[in-house]
Amino acid sequence: MTTTLEHTTTDAAPLGGGLARRQNMATALVGGVLFAWLFWFLAHHFLDASSRNYSDLVSVSLTIGWIIGFWLGIGALNAPARWMMGRDNTHADDMYLAGQNQGKARYWKYCTDHKVVGVQYIIMTMVLLGAGGILAMAIRTELIVPGNHFVDQQVYNGFIAVHGLLMILALIVAVAGPWGNFVVPIMCGARDMAFPRLNALSLWTLVGAAGLLLTTLAVGSLSMGWVVLEPIANQAGVGMDFFAMAVVVFTVSTTVAGVNTICTVLTMRTKGMTLARLPIFVWGAIIAAALGLYAFPYFALVEAQTIMDRTFNTSFFVASGGGTGWLQANLFWLMGHPEVYVILLPAVAALFEIASVMARKPVFSYRTAIAGMTGLAGLSILVWAHHMFTTGWAPTLGGPFMLTTELISIPTGLFFLVLIGTLWRGNIWMKLPTIWMFGFIANFIIAGVTGIYLSDIPIDNQLHGTMFVTAHFHYVFVGSVLFGAVAALAFWYPKVTGRFLNEFQGRIAFWLAFIGVQVTFLSMFLSGLRGMPRRYSSYALIFEHTNFITTVGAYMIMAGMLVLLGAVITSWNKGEPAGPNPWHANSLEWMVPTPPPLENFTVLPVITEDPYNYGEELVRS
Amino acid sequence: MTTSNKKNPYRGMFLTWLVLTIAGVIVSIYAPSRLMPRSMSDNMHLTVLTMIVFSVAAAPVAAGIYAFAIHALRHWTHKGEAVPAAGPVVRENAVVVTTWLLVSTLLTVFLLIWGLGALAVDNGSSSKNPLVVDVTGQQWVWSFSYPGTHVQSNELYLPVGREVEFRVTSDDITHGFWIANMGVQVDANAGTWTTIHTTPNQLGTFDIRCTQFCGLNHAFMVTQGHVVTAQQFTTWLDSQPQRA
Repeated sequence: MTTTLEHTTTDAAPLGGGLARRQNMATALVGGVLFAWLFWFLAHHFLDASSRNYSDLVSVSLTIGWIIGFWLGIGALNAPARWMMGRDNTHADDMYLAGQNQGKARYWKYCTDHKVVGVQYIIMTMVLLGAGGILAMAIRTELIVPGNHFVDQQVYNGFIAVHGLLMILALIVAVAGPWGNFVVPIMCGARDMAFPRLNALSLWTLVGAAGLLLTTLAVGSLSMGWVVLEPIANQAGVGMDFFAMAVVVFTVSTTVAGVNTICTVLTMRTKGMTLARLPIFVWGAIIAAALGLYAFPYFALVEAQTIMDRTFNTSFFVASGGGTGWLQANLFWLMGHPEVYVILLPAVAALFEIASVMARKPVFSYRTAIAGMTGLAGLSILVWAHHMFTTGWAPTLGGPFMLTTELISIPTGLFFLVLIGTLWRGNIWMKLPTIWMFGFIANFIIAGVTGIYLSDIPIDNQLHGTMFVTAHFHYVFVGSVLFGAVAALAFWYPKVTGRFLNEFQGRIAFWLAFIGVQVTFLSMFLSGLRGMPRRYSSYALIFEHTNFITTVGAYMIMAGMLVLLGAVITSWNKGEPAGPNPWHANSLEWMVPTPPPLENFTVLPVITEDPYNYGEELVRS
Repeated sequence: MTTSNKKNPYRGMFLTWLVLTIAGVIVSIYAPSRLMPRSMSDNMHLTVLTMIVFSVAAAPVAAGIYAFAIHALRHWTHKGEAVPAAGPVVRENAVVVTTWLLVSTLLTVFLLIWGLGALAVDNGSSSKNPLVVDVTGQQWVWSFSYPGTHVQSNELYLPVGREVEFRVTSDDITHGFWIANMGVQVDANAGTWTTIHTTPNQLGTFDIRCTQFCGLNHAFMVTQGHVVTAQQFTTWLDSQPQRA
């Protein structure tokens, strides 16, 4: 089943010119800025300057101009426009769009090849994590001693909002973006995604959203937290409009990507690839995508309502007009809790894959793994009000939401069962992915146990809104998801580059990050237990020691991430060569050459069994 | 890899689990009351107790995960560059899955029953005649008034041993009213009232901090409260300037 033939080049001659073939990220930025200016100019001159919403209306117009210009500039609208005019893309056009014979230039273009999109997602994830990480360092530096010293309080408040959203966006795409695009189609035995152009659209829309979000830092005045607390967000300056529009644009990206992933897995599987033979990571990817399709419309809705309150004088969330911040909190957390599992599930599913390959054993109780992920996704849409236990909204619903929240620990426990069962008595190959996986296991249990405290209302009445909560969800996102994402990166990196991620540097990064996480967030738990609220720019002397330790730990994590970044960059061209199947795994992505050719397979494979037959008689050639 | 113990290869894992569990239980019993602010109310007492119970319940679970990880890293790893041979083929084990589900469900049910019971106690109002205090948050100060007395203060005074009903609201945006020593926290929302009950049972001074992000000076929206004797409380009330 190994495909040995390189993809033959059918269009050896370079394709002709035309404006559409010169479009790349630079033209996208130019287009975005031009249209943003154009929309600003029109809004500035034609809207009623005496309206108290004038500046918000102008800002929202500008951001709409930005994204339209960005889409035009990158070439997202070329193919639909040509189709409308009756001049549909030719095969040569489609091959050009897929990046044929374009070398590295295609990584800066609207490229439909799922592997290019996967690599673009790797870069985007690192950019977002880097920007969010720099803000985290600024926040921790401000908190190293009591008092306001390094960062202006107003700027600090903006930092916590943008740090939060940047990191959430980064982690939503951290596993599902790179690997949902790069490996899922190959795992299914498909030549590409079901909708290759939509794939490129989702990536470049994310870039457009990230551009808006980073711009908010310059625009400033973001006193509302990443959750966009109402009604305080209604007081915030025009930075709030950019922030909310960035979220709306981002939800377009995730929706398009989610539909694409689900359609690919449901319709593009090769012959014999039944649902029960799918690699478990594919299951994780589509369950997370489906959950995202449920959750993210709320995100777009709540930010759109925030914008409407600010521009058209609606009063969804403003008490003086008959609205309530509780509505905002409900809508936000209807998205916000499922979103945690949109982030977590792909990472967990990737770890199931890694555990099986590295322990040289089948995934233990494959169906339990699917049941656990499905159960978690289902439960996660019923727990949102545990984020509102102390808001005063509907105290009588406290009991029911406590019930649903605590039930979460049952499917989460199944994840541990599957991981432990898979590793049990295996020959565990201690390579980078495995090491980061063990880091995940150690951190995820702390994340889980501290979540149980917070699900209990009497305890939540004490700890809600404190650094304890912050430490809890950082154990989830940094300690667990980030570790899972790095494990996935180390695992599939050889498939992307043909080279191993440097083992030594990767281990240094691991120890810095692992010890850093414990130092940072265990001390942050202490701050919370001792009574320090969240989102503080300064604090009382009794929190001095724990905050100092937290900041030291945060620097360690950053040092670890910088070492990892160095490893990713230097190993890309200079790492140890890995060959097409360095882990001797059985799933389809390891059966194609490295790097996989355009359209992956010369001849589509036929599948007769699942990819976990380690130690069983049939071994694939 | 083979294990060193010939009798039972899992004896080491069990011992690790036992040691970690015992250590975890000891920490669970001693740590919460020492790490958290001094308890000054019945709610806080219940909160600390619940922390202890949940920690004790979680200790064997977390210890199990760590004991497994330590054992796996010591005995089940493959060293060297060569590809490891395949491990034992175990695709399903109905007994293990069922037991796991059963145990995790029972633990969850226990936590839930304890939690619902604690919630009922926490929400219950034992007194028919609680002291009512109106709490108002605004950017970035707290003010407290005592209905029926025309007294308004920026510091909170409470008599010991009498149930208090806080009626909380806001003049502008949402704030979070929190007494870390009493385990009570509720948001102050503009245009509506939220209530929360507690009974102070220790004399002393405590901090009131805002737990809901409220803008520029959120970190400085702090005031002090005092639990005093009933006698002192009456004296204090009488000494305050009367507002019309």
